[in-house]
Amino acid sequence: MHYPAWYVEFLTSPMLIAIIAIFHVLVSHYAVGGGLFLAVETRYAYRTNNKEYLAYLKDHAWFFILITVVFGAITGVGIWWTIGLASPLATEMLIHTFVFGWAMEYVFFVLEIVSAFIFFYYWGRLEPKIHQVMAWIYAFSAWMSLVLITGITAFMLNPGAWVENRNFWVGFFNPQFIPQLIARTGGALLLSALYVYLHAAFRIKEPKLRDLIASRSTLPALIGAVCIVIGGVGWYLFLPESAKAALAAASALNIMMVLIFAITVGVFALLYLGPYRNPGWMSPGFALVLFVMGLTVFSASEFVREAVRKPYVIYNVVYSNQILPEELPTLREKGYLEGGTWTSAWVRARYPQVTNSPEIDERKLLELPEPAQRELGHLLFQYHCSSCHATREGYSAVGQLLRGWTPEMIKNLVQNPEKFHFFMPPWAGTPEEAELLTKYLTSIAPPRPGGMR
Amino acid sequence: MNPTELIGPPSPLGYPAPYWFLVIFKVLGFTLHMVPMHLWFVGILLAMGLAQWGGPQAQRWSARLMRQMPVVIALGINFGIVPLLFTQVAYYRVFYPATILMAWPWFLIIVLLTLAYYGVYLYVTGLKDDAVLTPLKRAAGWSSAILFVVMGFLFSNGFTLMTNLHEWPQIWQSTSVAGAPLGTTLNTSDPTLWPRWLMMIGLALTTVAAYTVFDAGVFAIRESPQYKSWATSFAFKLYTVGMIWFAVMGSWYVFGSWSPDVREQMFTGMSLPLTVLTAVGPGLPWLLILAQRQQITQTLAILMALAQFGVLGLNAISRQIVQNIELSKFLDVTAEPVNLQLSPLIVFLVLFVVGLGVVAWMLQKVLQAERQPIRGS
Repeated sequence: MHYPAWYVEFLTSPMLIAIIAIFHVLVSHYAVGGGLFLAVETRYAYRTNNKEYLAYLKDHAWFFILITVVFGAITGVGIWWTIGLASPLATEMLIHTFVFGWAMEYVFFVLEIVSAFIFFYYWGRLEPKIHQVMAWIYAFSAWMSLVLITGITAFMLNPGAWVENRNFWVGFFNPQFIPQLIARTGGALLLSALYVYLHAAFRIKEPKLRDLIASRSTLPALIGAVCIVIGGVGWYLFLPESAKAALAAASALNIMMVLIFAITVGVFALLYLGPYRNPGWMSPGFALVLFVMGLTVFSASEFVREAVRKPYVIYNVVYSNQILPEELPTLREKGYLEGGTWTSAWVRARYPQVTNSPEIDERKLLELPEPAQRELGHLLFQYHCSSCHATREGYSAVGQLLRGWTPEMIKNLVQNPEKFHFFMPPWAGTPEEAELLTKYLTSIAPPRPGGMR
Repeated sequence: MNPTELIGPPSPLGYPAPYWFLVIFKVLGFTLHMVPMHLWFVGILLAMGLAQWGGPQAQRWSARLMRQMPVVIALGINFGIVPLLFTQVAYYRVFYPATILMAWPWFLIIVLLTLAYYGVYLYVTGLKDDAVLTPLKRAAGWSSAILFVVMGFLFSNGFTLMTNLHEWPQIWQSTSVAGAPLGTTLNTSDPTLWPRWLMMIGLALTTVAAYTVFDAGVFAIRESPQYKSWATSFAFKLYTVGMIWFAVMGSWYVFGSWSPDVREQMFTGMSLPLTVLTAVGPGLPWLLILAQRQQITQTLAILMALAQFGVLGLNAISRQIVQNIELSKFLDVTAEPVNLQLSPLIVFLVLFVVGLGVVAWMLQKVLQAERQPIRGS
């Protein structure tokens, strides 16, 4: 509304955020847990003077850098890049609230990169003690990055009292912060162990060393799984009521929650029976199965975390269609087309006959020819609805959802979306604009499927 | 359509710090970002060319630069976060619309960067002692070089479109579906785009030349005197070419593409000395390289690097002022209310200083290790 709405056919632009975010979490948690693994295990290898293990750790550090420093860093920037394109108002609000949170994270990000490269490229050239310190600087910085980003992402789900006082620290230490921090720290421990198993299973032929790695990595992984469960329970308890309701209502989310629970239990059991009790089981196939299960849990969790925020991008602060709740009364009175920076400019440029500059005369909108009314309805759709819905085909395509609906039913939905579905943002326009949107939606809704009795 | 109509309302939250604070970090961050960015922007291309067609010393230079490139890229991405962050705080009302109007090319940068970065890593695996630069690895290196140049062009498009508001209505109306932009356009009709991008190539050539001398004087402890002699000679020629290029493209940019009001403001009052210094600034590092043609010294190499950093800093400050003048027709970015977030700001500054201290400690350990013979792993 304040910004142009980027039209991404079929997929919708916010889905690009979800795709990048899922790829990113699969690597970023490894960047945290893997750092801890390298710090702890390098210390152990030096202490026991285990040269084979040290050689493996150097090999793993290279793999770690290739995955985390390149892909992890770029996808991390990529999320930020994409939210600015797909949800600019929410990004504006987040940046103005947490710029110094991000700036703090940037400091730790610098420390991560410098220490990671020194740890790897100066392997064997630094005193063992200094070398270990580098690993610990990395591990601590990476975890602090997780802490800082968790404060911001958790804020999006439940900003708590920030809505009243707009205090940075109140927003940062929001009700979701601790549960998500526990869950994410646990996730980092678990996922990094799965990366280690996978890497070790394919790279190490010596069974004794492989068994050592398997057995040493399992305890942190099991602790990680427990943390995920504890954090997950806390996450659920501190969810806003609407998010709990969304979780209960949406069948896709139900399926995902069952998947998350079942696979986490499965991973826990396999970890206990496999690497913990029988390290010899750690074959490439077994490691791959564990790894895929881990990625599935993480991807599903991330999708659920994003989905339950509806109808908000930032709970009670920004609706998913880039409207601030406090703007609703004015938009309903004066009209969404007039209230939106880009919508009003479009109407003034295309339909000067309905404007008494700078106002738009709502009554004249319905005097326009039918194609023009549908075009304005389409404009309303693009700005009011396309954050969550494709048009005729694609992600949650509104055409398919309205298949067979009568114009009266559609109009009723348009005027009261939040009453039909509590996870939809409320209608933010005038009755005339609702009529325009109804005409457009009616034009793209296919008829009821034939052949049904 | 009046482009000012397309600027949304100010944020209800206000700036979290005074404008001057935001813009200092934006300019400082951009100056820091320019160093590694220049090295990949034209450095990889030069490295590929010299690896293919250069003599033994040129190939040595190419290998040295490319071995450092993974770290250079990581730092460059990292340093790029700061100016982008503060741009989004202070210039959000023009930054978001501009990037949305060219959303796909802007989004593509992430994909291209991933490919280019991995391409560099693949190339570098061919530089290990027992490895061979296979045709695949060479192709990866060339591809990365080209991708980085393309990314530079896309960035130039984004940042010129941010101030080229006159073009917004036309771009928007011609590439949108019912008012929602497809994000498929570029800002190629902007007269400032090409000279600005080409000028950056000239400036990047000077940075690569300056870095060559700095590397030879400070890092290349184990390199032969022949290499160091070649490096300074090469750097001098490269800096001269870069400086001439910078002068020509800069003249085109200033006298051929700036609007009269920008030119007038940059050539009067307090801005005049800055404009002159920005134009003649590269002369100082050039003289410092010239002074080292016979014998490279660590002190002069460091001084020359600082001088080049100053050149980049002057460029960044001038760009910032020009950006504000161009935007002033539509928007006063200094006029927004400030809701100072004092305690987070202090925590950030403390962490920033402590972080710098830790980085300095780590680099000190690296320099100590460099001076010692290589240990077995």
